[in-house]
Amino acid sequence: MVMKVMSADHSVAHGVRLARAEVIPAFPITPQTLIVELLSEFINDGELDADFMPVESEHSAMSAAIGASAGGVRAFTATSSQGLALMHEMLYAAPHNRLPIVMANVNRSLGAASGIWLEYNDSMPERESGWLQVYIEDNQEALDMIIQAYRIGEDGGVMLPVMVCLDGFVLSHTVEKVDLPDQEIVDRFLPKFSPLDVLDSEAPKTFNAITPPDYAMEMRYRLERAIEDSKTVIGRVDSEYGEVTGRRYGGLLDTYRMEGAEIALMTLGTATSTAKVVADRLNEMGKKAGVIKLRFMRPFPGRELAEITKELKGLGVFDRSLSFNGFGPVFTETRNALNSAQFPITNHIAGLGGRDVTFEEVKSMFDIVERSARGESYRECNWHGLRGVMV
Amino acid sequence: MYEVRFHGRGGQGAVMAAQALAEAAVLEGYYAQAFPYFGAERRGAPVRAFARIDEDKISIKSQIYEPDMLVILDESLLDIEPVAEGLRSGGKVVINSTKTPEKVDLGVEVDCASVDATSIALETIKAPIVNTSILGAFAKIEDIIPLESILNAIMNRFGEKLGHQAGVMNSEAARLAYERTVVGRCRGTRKLVERMQWLPTWDELPPGTALPAKTIDGVDVGPGSAWQNFTGTWRTSSPRYLKEKCIRCLRCWFSCPEGCIDRLDDDYEKWDYRYCKGCGICADVCPVQAIEMIRGVHEW
Repeated sequence: MVMKVMSADHSVAHGVRLARAEVIPAFPITPQTLIVELLSEFINDGELDADFMPVESEHSAMSAAIGASAGGVRAFTATSSQGLALMHEMLYAAPHNRLPIVMANVNRSLGAASGIWLEYNDSMPERESGWLQVYIEDNQEALDMIIQAYRIGEDGGVMLPVMVCLDGFVLSHTVEKVDLPDQEIVDRFLPKFSPLDVLDSEAPKTFNAITPPDYAMEMRYRLERAIEDSKTVIGRVDSEYGEVTGRRYGGLLDTYRMEGAEIALMTLGTATSTAKVVADRLNEMGKKAGVIKLRFMRPFPGRELAEITKELKGLGVFDRSLSFNGFGPVFTETRNALNSAQFPITNHIAGLGGRDVTFEEVKSMFDIVERSARGESYRECNWHGLRGVMV
Repeated sequence: MYEVRFHGRGGQGAVMAAQALAEAAVLEGYYAQAFPYFGAERRGAPVRAFARIDEDKISIKSQIYEPDMLVILDESLLDIEPVAEGLRSGGKVVINSTKTPEKVDLGVEVDCASVDATSIALETIKAPIVNTSILGAFAKIEDIIPLESILNAIMNRFGEKLGHQAGVMNSEAARLAYERTVVGRCRGTRKLVERMQWLPTWDELPPGTALPAKTIDGVDVGPGSAWQNFTGTWRTSSPRYLKEKCIRCLRCWFSCPEGCIDRLDDDYEKWDYRYCKGCGICADVCPVQAIEMIRGVHEW
C-alpha cells in the first residue's frame, strides 16, 4: 500500500489503473479533464495496458465504450455537465444491453446559467437511464468506488453500468491523502471481466434489435429487477472490500451519529463532510442530531431509509439541484420512500451553480429541521443562501 | 485546525503552492487538504487557493473565510481585492514584495514575511512563477512545517509532474527564498478595498440571461464592463516602444492577443497599458527590435 497526496480526479484515474480498464474513449471537459489526462499518461508510460481513444465528442465516447464493453473488455470513460448531456442518447443503450461500463461524472452545472462549477443538475436527470449512480464524499472513496463499481457492475446478477459522481472542484481539484491499494489486492478483489455476451463473428448473436411492444415491457421490468437486485450486491461488495482494505462505506447509505438521533439531515457528496462537522457541534450543545449520507441514488435505498429514520422526529433533505416542481430530486424520492413517516420532512436547496455550502448554511438547515420536529410551522422547501425573500 | 488562504494570479502557481504545502504537512504526519477556487480560467486573473492542516482527519469542505495565514503571491492584488479580509487576530502573512515588511501596507498590522519571490523565480526557474519561492518564505515565518519537508514536497510534486530537474530548480527557489526572507511587522493603515459587486436579489434579476450596457450599484454590467476592470496590473514586464526603430510593419498590432496596441493614422503604434498583460508577443514578433520588454509595471 502506498500513500499519496492527490486530487480526487487523480484518485479516480489511479482507481481505473488498478482496475485494469482496457479501453478508455474520452473527450476532455472541465472539471473532469485531469482524469483522462492522467490516464493517457499511464498508458503512455506503460503503467496501464489500455487503448486510449481521443474521440470527437462525448456521444462518441459513450458509443465507443458501449462497443468496447460489448466486445468483452473493461471500458471506462469520464465526463461532466454538457458532456454528459451529449451522451444522453447513448446512455440508455448500456443498461438494457447489460454492459457494465464505469463512468466518472464530475458534477458541474448544466447551462444555461452556464458555469464550470458544481451542481447536480447534470447527473440527476440521468437517474432515469438505468445506470447505477453513486455519489462520493472524499478522495479515498473516489478511488475505492471506481474499483467497487466494476465489481458491482460486473457481478453476474447485476451486469449494469455504474456512474461514479463526484463534486466538481470541491472534490475533483482538492488534494488529500489517498492510500493506493496494492495491485495484487485489487486483482484478487476484481477478477477479469466475464461478459454476458460478446460481439464475436465466430459465434454470432443479435444485439440491440428493435424491440416491438410484445417485448419492451418485459425488458423494462427485467431491468427494474436487476437494479433492485444490485442492492444486495452493493452491500456485499462493500463488506468484501472492507475485509481486504479496512475501508467500509456502508453500501447504499452511511450514517453518522444516528444512534439515538432525534433530528437528521440527509446529504450527498461533499456536503456530507460539512454536515458531520455541524452535527458534532450540535451534539456538543446537547442536541441529538445525526447525518445520513446518501451514497446511491440508483438503486435508491427506500426501505433502508425507512428503517434508519423510524425513531426520528424530523428529517431534512439536502439537494444541490432542482426538479422545478418546488423540490429537489433527492427530496422527492425520499418523501416518496417515507410516505408513511409520522415526522416532518423538509427540503434544503443550497450550493447551486457552485455557491459555497458553508458551516453556517448547513447549521441553518438543522435549525429548520429542529423547529419542524418541535411542531413549529415550517416551509417544506427552503433555499439556503438565496438573496431575496422566498415566496 | 490551521487554515491558509493563498492569493495569486493565474499562472503564478497558487494552486500548486497550496498543494505542495498540504503535501509537506502530510509528510510531517498531519492531515491536510488543499483546493483552488477558480473564477474565469485566465492567466493573470486573481486566483484564490486554500489549505487546511490538522492533527485529525479534516471533514469540512467549504472555503476558508477566517485564515490563520495569508500567502500573497502578487502584491498588486492588495489594490484590487480585500486580501486581508477575515484574517484571524494573531494571524500572519507572507508576501511577494521587494519591500521590507515595515513598508508593506496590508491593511492590518500583523507578523509579516516579505521576499522578492519574483526575482528569485526569474533567477532559478527562469519564469515569474513564484509558488515555490513563496513557500520558502512561509517556512521562515511559520514553524508548523520545517523547510526540509517543504523541499521534499516540492521535489515530489514538481519532480513527478515536470521532471527531476524542475523539482531541483523549484527546491532551490524555495531554499533561496528562505534565506532572503525578511520577517517583521507590516503596516495596517490601508483601508481594505471594497469588492465592487452587483448582487441582486432573485426578483431584482432581469428575466433571461441578457444584460444591457448599464451601471448597477456602481458596477458596469453587460457589454463594455471591461471599462471597470483594468487588467494591466497583471503584467510582470512592460513593452517599451522605440518609435525611431519602427518600420510600421504592423506585426505587433496584428499579434497582440489583447488588442491593446492602437494603430495610429500614420501606422505608428500606441500601447494601451491599462490592459497590456506584458506577454511579450509584440517584442517577439518585431523584426527590428523596436519593442523591448522591461521588468515591472511601467507606462511610457
